[in-house]
Amino acid sequence: MLRVEHISKSFGPTTALRDVNLHLRKGEVLGLLGDNGSGKSTLIKIICGFQKQDSGQMFLHGEPYEPKSVDDARAQGIDTVYQDLALVDELSVYHNMFLRRERVHVPVPLLNNALMRRETRKALDDIGINIPRLDVPVARLSGGQRQAIAVARTVSGEANILLLDEPLAAMGAKEGGMILEVIQRLKEEGEVSVMMILHNYAHVFATCDRVNLLQDGVIALDKQITETSVEELNEIVVEEYRRARQAAIAEDTAARAAAATASQ
Amino acid sequence: MAVASGSEVPAQSPPAGPASTSRALGGRALKLVRGFLTLREGSIIVVAIVTTVYFSANATNFATLSNFKTLLPYFAPLAILGAGEVFVMINGEIDLSIGAVYLLSPFVFYKLNQAGIPLVPAVVLSLFVSMAVGAINGFFIAVVGISSFVTTLGMLFTLDGLTLIISHTAPVPTPGTSALHVNSFAQVFGGGTYSELIWALVIVVVLQAVLTFTRWGVYTVAVGGNRLGAAEAGIRVRLVLIRNFVLCATCAGLVGILEAVRAVTATPDPSGSNEILFQGIASAVIGGTLLRGGSGTVVGALIGALFLGVLHDGLIIKGVSANYLDLYLGLAILIAMSVNVYVQRVRTGSGLG
Ligand SMILES: Nc1ncnc2c1ncn2[C@@H]1O[C@H](COP(=O)(O)OP(=O)(O)OP(=O)(O)O)[C@@H](O)[C@H]1O
Ligand SMILES: [Mg+2]
Repeated sequence: MLRVEHISKSFGPTTALRDVNLHLRKGEVLGLLGDNGSGKSTLIKIICGFQKQDSGQMFLHGEPYEPKSVDDARAQGIDTVYQDLALVDELSVYHNMFLRRERVHVPVPLLNNALMRRETRKALDDIGINIPRLDVPVARLSGGQRQAIAVARTVSGEANILLLDEPLAAMGAKEGGMILEVIQRLKEEGEVSVMMILHNYAHVFATCDRVNLLQDGVIALDKQITETSVEELNEIVVEEYRRARQAAIAEDTAARAAAATASQ
Repeated sequence: MAVASGSEVPAQSPPAGPASTSRALGGRALKLVRGFLTLREGSIIVVAIVTTVYFSANATNFATLSNFKTLLPYFAPLAILGAGEVFVMINGEIDLSIGAVYLLSPFVFYKLNQAGIPLVPAVVLSLFVSMAVGAINGFFIAVVGISSFVTTLGMLFTLDGLTLIISHTAPVPTPGTSALHVNSFAQVFGGGTYSELIWALVIVVVLQAVLTFTRWGVYTVAVGGNRLGAAEAGIRVRLVLIRNFVLCATCAGLVGILEAVRAVTATPDPSGSNEILFQGIASAVIGGTLLRGGSGTVVGALIGALFLGVLHDGLIIKGVSANYLDLYLGLAILIAMSVNVYVQRVRTGSGLG
C-alpha cells in the first residue's frame, strides 16, 4: 500500500536517515522501533509531507507519492499524530479536534461550532476518553487528555493510513488500553493501515502485526511479531549498547595513547 | 428543655428563609460577575468604567454630549489601529510601521487625486498601497525570516522618509475637503462628527467576528499559540502572517485618510505619527492582547482606546497643565494595568474560578 525506498535525510552535519526501505500493507499495524534520535519521527514527518527527503522515493498504491504539503498528504489519505501533538493551547478542545479541518456553514463560511462540538463529543466517546468540557482551552487539560485529543483527531478523520508517533507516551494504563483497543478495532475493520512508533514492548506485542527497527539510519530488522520476542528485541538493544560502549572505550584508549605520545 | 428548644426553633427559622434567598440571589450575582470577568476584556472594562465614573464625579462637564464629541476623534482612530494591530500581536508579532503608513497614506491619496483620479477611487487605491506595504512587511517576516520588530522598524523609517520626500515636508490640503463646509465625501470619510466612530464600530465588529467565527481567526490564534504545531497540522503559517500584516497596514492607511479628511490638511509630521503608533499599540495591550501571542480581542482594543481617550480627555478637563499631561497619562496607564493584572489574577486564581 505504502512503500518507502532509499530515503535519506540529513540536518546539516547530522544524518537522521541514511537509506530507509520499508513498506506498509493494507490493514496492517506496523511498529517502528528505534533508540532516541534514531530518526523515527523524521521518517514519519517525511511520509506525512511535513518535511522533504534528501533522496529516495515513496509509492502509494503503486503510484509515485510526492506529498507537497501536509494538506496534500491528508488529501491522499495519510494523517499523523505528531510526537509534540500539534495542539494549540489557547484553542478549545473542539477547535483543536478540527484544526485545519474546520466545519463551516454554507454559503457564509463561518465556523459551525455546534457541529464541531457534537462531532468532537462523539469521537471522544467512541474512544472512551472522558473530557468533561469541550470549550475550555486545551492548556487546562492534563498531558494524557491532550494526547487523547491528538489521537482522536487523527483516528476519527477520513485517513486510511495513520502515522502515530508515540501515541501512548503520556497515557495512563487505562487510557492507553483504550487507544490500543481503538487501533485493534480499526485493524479488524481492515480499512486502515497504521504505522506506530512505540517504546514499550508490551504495547508492541499487544497491537502490532510486524515490527521494523530503525538503527544507524537504516531498517536493521523487519519481522512478523510472531517470529520475534521481547528477548530478541531486547538483545538487539543490549547488543547495540555494548557496541557503543566498546567504541567509546576504544576511542578513549586511542585518545589516551595519543595524549601519552604527545607528552613524551 | 423541650419548651426552650421549641421556642428557639421558630425564632431561628424565619430569618433563615430570607437569608437563604438572598444567598441564592448573591450566588447568582456572583455567577454573573464571574461570567463577566471570564471575558478576556472583563478586567479592562472594570478599569475603564471606574475611570469614567471618577471623571464624571470629579470633573465638571465630563459626562456631556459635547465632551463625548471632543473625545471621539481621540479614541476612534486608536480603536481602528488597535484592531489591526491585535491580529498581528495574536500572531506573536508586532507592527511598528502603522504610524508611518498612517502618515504616508493621505499623501498617496493627495498625489493620486492630483493625477486626476476621482476621490473615492483614489481612496481605494491608497488603501491598496497600504496593503502592499503590509504585504512587503509580511514577506520579509514570513519568507525572508527577519523579526517583525526589525522589519517594521525599517519600514517605519523608510515610509517616514518617503513621506517627507514626496511632500517636500510641506502640508497639503486634503482632496475633497474644505474648511468652510463638510461635503458628502468628507461626511463619510472622517469629516462627519460621528463618521470615525461609525468606521471604528463597524471595523471592530467585523474584525472581532473574523477573529471569533472564521478559519482566519482560528489560524491566527494557532500560529501565535503554537507555530510549529500549526504548521504540522497543515496551516500555511506564512500566508496567515502575511495576511495579518496586510490587514494591519490597511487599517493604518484608512485611519490616515480619515484623520486627514477630518483635519482638512495632511501634515508630514513623523513625531505625531510615532505617538499614534504607540497609542495604537497601547490600546491593544491595555485591551488584554498579549505581546507573546496566542491571545487577544478586537473589542478589547476598542475599550483600551476608549480608556486612553477618557484618561486624556478627563485630565484635560480637570485642568492638568499640558506639561504634566504625559506624566499623568503614563502613571495612570501603569496603575490601570496593574489593577488589570490584579483583577485578572483574581479571576483566574482559586478565588473566582
Ligand atoms: N528540525 C531538525 N533540525 C535539526 N536536526 C534535527 C531536526 N529534526 C531531527 N533532527 C535530528 O535528527 C535525528 C533524528 O531525530 P528524530 O526526531 O527523528 O528521532 P526519533 O527517533 O524520533 O527520537 P525519539 O525517540 O527521541 O523521538 C536527531 O539526531 C535529531 O537531533
Ligand atoms: Mg521522535
